[in-house]
Amino acid sequence: MASPKRPFKKIVDKLVELKDTSELMMDLAYSSLLLNSHELAEEVQELEEHIDELHTEFELLVLSSGFKRKESKDFLGLIRLGVVTEKIADAAAEIAGVVLRGLEPHPVLKLVIEEAEETVTRVQVTRKSSLVNKTLREIQIPEETGMWVLSIRRGKKRIRPKPGVVIKAGDILIASGYAEGEEDLMKLASGETVLPA
Amino acid sequence: MVRLEKIEYKPMPVRDLLVEMKDISELMIDLAYSAALFHSRELAEDVLELEEHVDTLAYLLDMNAMLAARDAEDAEALVGVSVVAAAANKISDAAADIAAIVLQEIGIHPIVREAFQKVEERLARTEVKPISILVGQRLGELELATKIGVDIIAIRREKKWIINPKEDEAVHKEDVLVARGAPLGIEEFKGLADGTVRKLED
Repeated sequence: MASPKRPFKKIVDKLVELKDTSELMMDLAYSSLLLNSHELAEEVQELEEHIDELHTEFELLVLSSGFKRKESKDFLGLIRLGVVTEKIADAAAEIAGVVLRGLEPHPVLKLVIEEAEETVTRVQVTRKSSLVNKTLREIQIPEETGMWVLSIRRGKKRIRPKPGVVIKAGDILIASGYAEGEEDLMKLASGETVLPA
Repeated sequence: MVRLEKIEYKPMPVRDLLVEMKDISELMIDLAYSAALFHSRELAEDVLELEEHVDTLAYLLDMNAMLAARDAEDAEALVGVSVVAAAANKISDAAADIAAIVLQEIGIHPIVREAFQKVEERLARTEVKPISILVGQRLGELELATKIGVDIIAIRREKKWIINPKEDEAVHKEDVLVARGAPLGIEEFKGLADGTVRKLED
């Protein structure tokens, strides 16, 4: 592939970040309801502020990219996709808002979310875990456990789970997948099981 | 004049309606991005069709939730349900917006496609060839999730959608399967569906 012009690469990276963040927010929002967790719901609200900033940066990048007239349709497509991620993020924030307003989630909501086979889980990586000091690419969590790492929390920082990210002891992995995979991931993170060599 | 379907009250469990709205709206996002990725008008049209269906469900859910509230306490408990249903509806609208980008030929730049491909490699849409070993098997027997880490999230059979198919659903030839999974599993799954992979390893 011809190497894309630099501004364009930046625009696309930003768009991928918007998309990932909006999807993470949905997962977290439903989980906050399921667990009636203020902590998760607050994380959704924080991400909502973050995504608003991202979206503005993204739109500014698009508008200042100096595209040509014949490219305008492609750039309109980009802007529209950005708006979509923003809409999804809003929907997630509204869901989390139910928890933050102190409305005890109706039992129906828990049933509905549990019925979906996928769950979101948070696991902390202990010092003795075989994941420590390995990159996400090396540890192949989806292949090993069927779980997808959505986000990594390191202290106050939130790290996007790119393949090159190195896992550290104490990291909290937020992952989604099936209930069976959840246990496998917990064992790997705690050090109870070890990655195959 | 735009003609919208008249929606009449039907007694239905709020829970079932919400499960369906949540499942379909999430599937729609996946389908919509795929439509953009593969530039498929057909998929984009599917998304719009599902969007109308979600609208109908939203009306039915509201009607049933209204009738379920007997007092202030019920209303407080149920308002959360209606907020979540509204959010699911909003998500389906967002998916429809993506589909509209495809249908209006606004276009998705090839570089965007490439970037999304990396995120979307976990999703595949593939037709089951008559010679595939999947034909006639129930999803529960195939155990694709445990064997190759792939989950079938929807089946399109002729004009009909089966969302989140159950264990006892059998695969028919010419079904279009929408599946999610890790990249390696997805490759194997595509082979199984088109008949080039003849054996499902444990």
